[in-house]
Amino acid sequence: MAEPLVAIRNLKLEAGTARGRAAILRGIDLEIGRGRILGLVGESGSGKSSLAACLIGLTPANTSAISGEIRFDGQNLVGLDPTAFARLRGRRIAMIFQDPMTALNPLFTIGTHLVDVLRHRDPGLSRAAALSEATAMLVKVGIADPEARIAAYPHQLSGGMRQRVMIAMALLMRPDLLLADEPTTALDATVEAQIVELLAALRREVSGSIVFISHHLGLVAQLCDDVAVMYGGTVVETGPVDAVLTDPRHPYTRALIACEIDEDDAPGGRLLSIPGEVPDPVRPMTGCIFAPRCAHAVETCRSEVPELRTSGDGRRAACLRFEELP
Amino acid sequence: MNTLAAILATLRRATGSITGAVGFTIFVLVILAALFAPVIATHDPDALDVMNRFAPPSAAHWLGTDHLGRDLFSRLIHGATIAMSVALSAIALALAAGTVLGILAAYLSDRGERVILILFDVIAAFPSLVLALAIVAVFGPSTGVVVAIVALTMTPHFGRVARAQVLTLKNAPFLEAERILGASGARIVFVHLLPNIMGPLVVLASMDIPVVITIEAGLSFLGLGVRPPLASWGTLIQDGYQFLSDSWIPVVVSSLALALATLGFTLFGEALRDAVDPRIGRER
Amino acid sequence: MTDPAAPPLVSFEDVSVVFGGRVHALDHVDLTIARGEVLGLVGESGSGKTTLCRTLIGLTPLTTGWIRIGGAPLIETMAADPLGFRRRVQMLLQDAVASLSPRLTIGRTLEEPIAIHGLPREAARRRLDGLLARLGLPRDIVTKFPHQISGGQARRVGVARALMVEPDLIVADEPTAGLDVSVQGELLNLLMDLRRDLGLTYLLVSHNLNVIRRVTDRTAVMYLGQIVETAPTRDLFDRPAHPYAAALVSTNPAIDPKRRRRPIVLGGEIPSVVDLPSGCRFHTRCPVAQPRCAVDVPAEREVGPGRRVRCHFPFSLAPTAAADALLVAADAATAAAATP
Repeated sequence: MAEPLVAIRNLKLEAGTARGRAAILRGIDLEIGRGRILGLVGESGSGKSSLAACLIGLTPANTSAISGEIRFDGQNLVGLDPTAFARLRGRRIAMIFQDPMTALNPLFTIGTHLVDVLRHRDPGLSRAAALSEATAMLVKVGIADPEARIAAYPHQLSGGMRQRVMIAMALLMRPDLLLADEPTTALDATVEAQIVELLAALRREVSGSIVFISHHLGLVAQLCDDVAVMYGGTVVETGPVDAVLTDPRHPYTRALIACEIDEDDAPGGRLLSIPGEVPDPVRPMTGCIFAPRCAHAVETCRSEVPELRTSGDGRRAACLRFEELP
Repeated sequence: MNTLAAILATLRRATGSITGAVGFTIFVLVILAALFAPVIATHDPDALDVMNRFAPPSAAHWLGTDHLGRDLFSRLIHGATIAMSVALSAIALALAAGTVLGILAAYLSDRGERVILILFDVIAAFPSLVLALAIVAVFGPSTGVVVAIVALTMTPHFGRVARAQVLTLKNAPFLEAERILGASGARIVFVHLLPNIMGPLVVLASMDIPVVITIEAGLSFLGLGVRPPLASWGTLIQDGYQFLSDSWIPVVVSSLALALATLGFTLFGEALRDAVDPRIGRER
Repeated sequence: MTDPAAPPLVSFEDVSVVFGGRVHALDHVDLTIARGEVLGLVGESGSGKTTLCRTLIGLTPLTTGWIRIGGAPLIETMAADPLGFRRRVQMLLQDAVASLSPRLTIGRTLEEPIAIHGLPREAARRRLDGLLARLGLPRDIVTKFPHQISGGQARRVGVARALMVEPDLIVADEPTAGLDVSVQGELLNLLMDLRRDLGLTYLLVSHNLNVIRRVTDRTAVMYLGQIVETAPTRDLFDRPAHPYAAALVSTNPAIDPKRRRRPIVLGGEIPSVVDLPSGCRFHTRCPVAQPRCAVDVPAEREVGPGRRVRCHFPFSLAPTAAADALLVAADAATAAAATP
């Protein structure tokens, strides 16, 4: 396989909280292949948004320590100075958010937002040229009547349309890496389907890689090439999406999929859940992070921290016992 | 019990900074002086000793005496009682009236709301000094009139904040849940709404204490407020000012007391505000 | 489970709600909920789901039409015995944490129903203890404040508060929104157990189609203030009759690639409720709209046992007919748009 676009090694992130130092990421090992879509799944508090924040250099203000390595096209992003990171952000790494309203300035028109992005990428561009490129991009992301929309303010657009504008802004940068943090969660089902179809269609035109963060396993299965399952600030399983989600090796992945409601399930039957509580980030990890809630945990699971190990073709799982599991 | 713990925690945060701690110390000292004036004062504040006019500070008279030989320290301490009782009663009245009107404005129909808001605007637009003159002209100067004037001019201030607070909470899910349970309007307002809007109002009240103290002093200085021989800080400055050519000590000492008290209350009020809601401070 | 011949617990009869004279939040809604039934309500945001819930708990007055509960008009029951009405109909609010008073302990919040309804204290306290145990809430939760408990616990506290007055009907607005999938099952199991044990009836609103499919008996689909299709849940998901319902149920990707079907992607944007389309409200986005749809308003009609649909050209109820027809139409539309 060719060298990945991003290679993350032992990435740790700590934050100061009222209760002490919290381990937000506990040593992430992950690769993002060139031109691939990586799905990042996990429950709230699993660290998936924090991982995205590290990738785009926007860690929260209470971050107290960050260590490890994020090789982005050979360059280490951990400890990169802020101005150099800011240059990467506008040009090579882009991000779209769950709520586009927070990322759009209510006082500026859609056109101004798009032209700003273009000028950041290419300062010599004339405003007329920028506007025509912006209009073309709005057509590409499926916005009807782009000439009228370009003069509109964010609040005049629907949620689905704002998300399309965010995607247009991100694509105008022609990023090598696009981070999408729950981009469809706030949208209605039929609009969500539109946006997912748009992302799937655009990937043919985008040469870069996409990280798609979602708690919706079905969407990830539909859109992504690879998946990384996160739990308590660690990656517990990763690999090609269909293989991981149809034949999960890690007990947490299995439990998560079992909790999803399947259409074949008889109505009235019991729904599954994972008993116990999510790990407390203030407590140090002394064994497998999932052991307290794992149905298959044995004594060594509580004392030994499992490494991500190869568990099949292109797949890895962080479980001491996956070979023995049924 | 938990409310007490929350109040203590807020106080601890407010006194965490140097300015907050200084303000809090002055606040406590003035309150103690006001509460225990008869104990703290070394002399009867009204006892004349005409032979001993304009005495310089000494062991007998710590800050000297005024033009009638009255002990200045004792008069200042008793002045604190007047300043605090005027300030607290005026602010309590304004807080109560403003809160009631503000809640009414938020819950009434459009027309009712407009009437209350116009009332607020009229009061706020009326120059308070002219208002004071008019009221004093009718009722004559007295401590009660000072309280009434100050309460009236402060009411819109609290009313507007109370209304804004209610508007942000009016459709909050926890109030909706009460409605669904069948709670009466009064229960919703008094049991569930009030405790949630009082925080900012109390901070506002604490920040208004120094304002009221200076207003009272100002009115008394002009002879429109507290009547002599009562020892208000305003009348003390007035007395000292009249006899400035005989001694500079009374006017400077009483002005300093007023300035120090106002500064202390302002610092404490600001620290309290930052401790309760840091955003209010930054938005200004 | 439910007897179709018995009179319904709830019936909406030609209910409309218009805000400010121009926002048609509910438009001629007819709907029944049988005693002991779980009725699902789906639709996009702004389709009127929340307004429908609020009319049923008496928080939003009707512009026209009637809602009957147990045969008696809701408006009369509310006027005659407001507290009695509250004891029959309760609601679980969407934002469970925010629905708890931030300055009251959970214990105080749970005692609110006792104080408001003047319940006999001893019996009510025993009931409260029983409910806490039944809902799997720790005893010491009564001393905590809302910000000190988890989202799942806050939801169960909301359920306990509603059940204190022993209601017949519970309106649940997005009961699992914001809950992680690992705890969502627990809550749904609980709601269904309570239904069985206490004979509860639910109106359950959710945008999570998996939840609707799993726990409801019948489902009503809303679009722009109207109910466009009502059907037994299984039938609706297997053989939707209304084009919008068909598109909606197709947008639910399965994890297993072998079972994944192509979603029907609708074009266009949802029209504004202030400026409603003429004729059928869905015709601006409908892949199979005919000229007539832009002119004539379709009436609701019976298309099968227990199935009502508001469409001039509903799909035949043969399996997969709907999906195939829509996909062909949607593809044709995409092809037409692609050629300049």
